[in-house]
Amino acid sequence: MYTRIKELRKEKKLSQEELALAVGTTRQTISSIETGKYVASLPLAYKIAHYFGLTIEEVFDLTEYL
Amino acid sequence: MMRGSNKMENYKKVVKSRIWMLSLIVILAVGLGIFDVFWASDEMKESTIYGFQSGVIDALGILAAIFLIRYKKLLHNEKELKIQYNKENDERMKAIKAKAGMPILLITSLAMIIAGVIAGYFNFTIFTVLIITSVCQLLVSLVVKLIYTKIM
Repeated sequence: MYTRIKELRKEKKLSQEELALAVGTTRQTISSIETGKYVASLPLAYKIAHYFGLTIEEVFDLTEYL
Repeated sequence: MMRGSNKMENYKKVVKSRIWMLSLIVILAVGLGIFDVFWASDEMKESTIYGFQSGVIDALGILAAIFLIRYKKLLHNEKELKIQYNKENDERMKAIKAKAGMPILLITSLAMIIAGVIAGYFNFTIFTVLIITSVCQLLVSLVVKLIYTKIM
């Protein structure tokens, strides 16, 4: 699944580790989500989107599920 | 729903209870080690099963001591404690562990090792079969875990 996490992280000058700590996950999970290897659960997707002040649809490309 | 600070307070209590349990294991391992050196008879020391049992207990004692030091350090570092909490509750890792058959495979393997040691005092073949089966089971689980860590 395509996500804007990497782009948003770069804008905020955040490392994967810092984002992981803020949303309650690990750096490896953030890395897997960014590369599309792992699809985040709804609570984690919500936490990530909320952290950036955006909606889930604005961070995650959900069109493949339509 | 639990708030962040409550979660961490509860996790601190979990870590403290783990420290207590690990301390017990270390004391038990040291106690058995002392028994082994001073009071175990030569006949006992020559037994393969007794040797295996002592080796497992010593290894458990060393591992418990390592984890004990790690947990003690965690209690004094809020950031590291949060990282450890996140590691233990990470949804991806939980999914990988579930695919690798954890924790049931670990429980059955430990049960087989304990049963193997007890059975070993009566029949060496049963001991060998149970230990090899449990080790193979754990190895398969480890390989599955490594594969899923790469692809997930």
